[in-house]
Amino acid sequence: MKYLMITGRTVNQGVTVENKTSVEYAEETSTCFMHGFDMLELGLDDGDAIRVTGPCGAVVMRAVASVEVEIGTVFVPYGPYANHIIDADTHSTGMPDFKSHVVEIEPTDEEPKTVHELMEELGGLAYDDR
Amino acid sequence: MTIVKDVVCPFCGCLCDDLEVNVEGGRVVSVGNACELGATKLAGEKRMKNPILRDGNEWRDITYDEAIQYTADMLLAAERPLLYGWSGTHGEAQCVGVHMAELVRGVIDNTSSVCHGPSILAIQEVGHPGCTLGVVKNRADLVIYWGSNPIDAHPRHLSRYTCYADGFFLENAFRDRKVIVVDIRRTDTANLADEFVQIKPGGDYAVLSALRAIIRGRTETIPPTVAGVTREQLIRVANLCKEAKFGAVYFGLGLTMTGGKYKNVRNAIELVAELNRYTKFTISAMRGHYNVYGSNEVNTWMTGYPFGIDFSRGIAFYNPGETTAVDVLARKECDAALVVGSDPAAHFPRRCLEHLADIPVVQLDPYPNATTAFCNVQIPVAVTGIDAEGTAYRMDGVPIRTRKVLSTDYPSDEEVLSRIYTLMREELGE
Repeated sequence: MKYLMITGRTVNQGVTVENKTSVEYAEETSTCFMHGFDMLELGLDDGDAIRVTGPCGAVVMRAVASVEVEIGTVFVPYGPYANHIIDADTHSTGMPDFKSHVVEIEPTDEEPKTVHELMEELGGLAYDDR
Repeated sequence: MTIVKDVVCPFCGCLCDDLEVNVEGGRVVSVGNACELGATKLAGEKRMKNPILRDGNEWRDITYDEAIQYTADMLLAAERPLLYGWSGTHGEAQCVGVHMAELVRGVIDNTSSVCHGPSILAIQEVGHPGCTLGVVKNRADLVIYWGSNPIDAHPRHLSRYTCYADGFFLENAFRDRKVIVVDIRRTDTANLADEFVQIKPGGDYAVLSALRAIIRGRTETIPPTVAGVTREQLIRVANLCKEAKFGAVYFGLGLTMTGGKYKNVRNAIELVAELNRYTKFTISAMRGHYNVYGSNEVNTWMTGYPFGIDFSRGIAFYNPGETTAVDVLARKECDAALVVGSDPAAHFPRRCLEHLADIPVVQLDPYPNATTAFCNVQIPVAVTGIDAEGTAYRMDGVPIRTRKVLSTDYPSDEEVLSRIYTLMREELGE
């Protein structure tokens, strides 16, 4: 099924933003808030893993029901998970389409990756605090 | 225990200046008056202890001298370095950054290009009828939040300046001040509104145009619904605006990040211009990082341009979409990057990160973050507003000197950047 993916700030994203290697930051920014009917249609319960495919690839997130979003729209807090599938085209403005990506969502058995794993997939090297 | 009063919060563009911070044994133990975002930042721990260098597939500790030398060498060797970030540091450090960019003929951009950059493009087209937050607090009897959700992003904006802030001409703000929220989501902010206008995604431009038409007396041209908003509600909102003694629009990334981008903001500014034929109305951006406004100010008074400045021609050149960080990275154009006071790896699309992985990167940041994974060197620095002081610009353009509440051994961004800049000039024989 296709949905419009919006990204934006949440309090939990802001609280964990200075601690991006934390589990809490990964949990918040890998949460895909969906309308209850859309989840019903996909056979999803709160916390179920979903594969979200955008124009630049796919990423695994967790679906959570929200009364804030409309049917057909999903909301993901700003962060490395949403950006893993967002296109870099800015239409000559400098600003990518952070709030207007059409994505495909399907249930999956895979687990969301950690922020470290996402960065290493793109060629980085994780740094762990000793 | 020491209680430091009137501390300035270094999180969001509200720059709240009334915090009380309790310091004990060189640590922040509690924070009074702050929102959850500010309190968590001020109490932040887990800082990086010393500079680190990526050595193959391992991280190695290095000294500040070595890290500074590495950065100077990297920038001098690069043909087209990108100097990005700057919103999470103070103005004095931003000044040094601009000098460095000019010296190496690099591209310097700040986080506004992925935030309110489009708003600035609109302001360059049609101007900015804005005012300070104090004017809104004391005078506005109507506040409109459009595409912004202050409860999550600027939690004290409502209590210090709008919904709950009594002002000189408003004895009971909660009763006397009307609040309209325009959004595609029913956010917590929307639940506080006297009038919530829920529009379909991508419909902002059409709704703004419809309101402009109604204000101009062309109500008959409005169809039954515009982007999901009924004609009746549009007329009601237009009347609320015209009847207000003083209205203030605050807009967020709901306008800058959707289709149309700066054209949405331009239309909102022009709506405010129409409303000024009837009453007093202002419009301002809800700026995110505590000193992103400062990065625009500093860049503008030093180069003439607010962000996305390219010195490759030997003069300042500005062309958003070409000289902005996402574009420079996505085109795989830059051959080195210096990141200060931001975390592009968490906030940029993946194509940009793939290029960061291919080029030398140095980051100045107190904490390990997503960008750390792409660094060759990271230099931990003091946090402005916690263990370093400096000037920041509030979202309404008011400069405020942040305070230092802790003493640590970490150097400030300005100190590290000044040492790198001095070394670069020495090596160039200047």
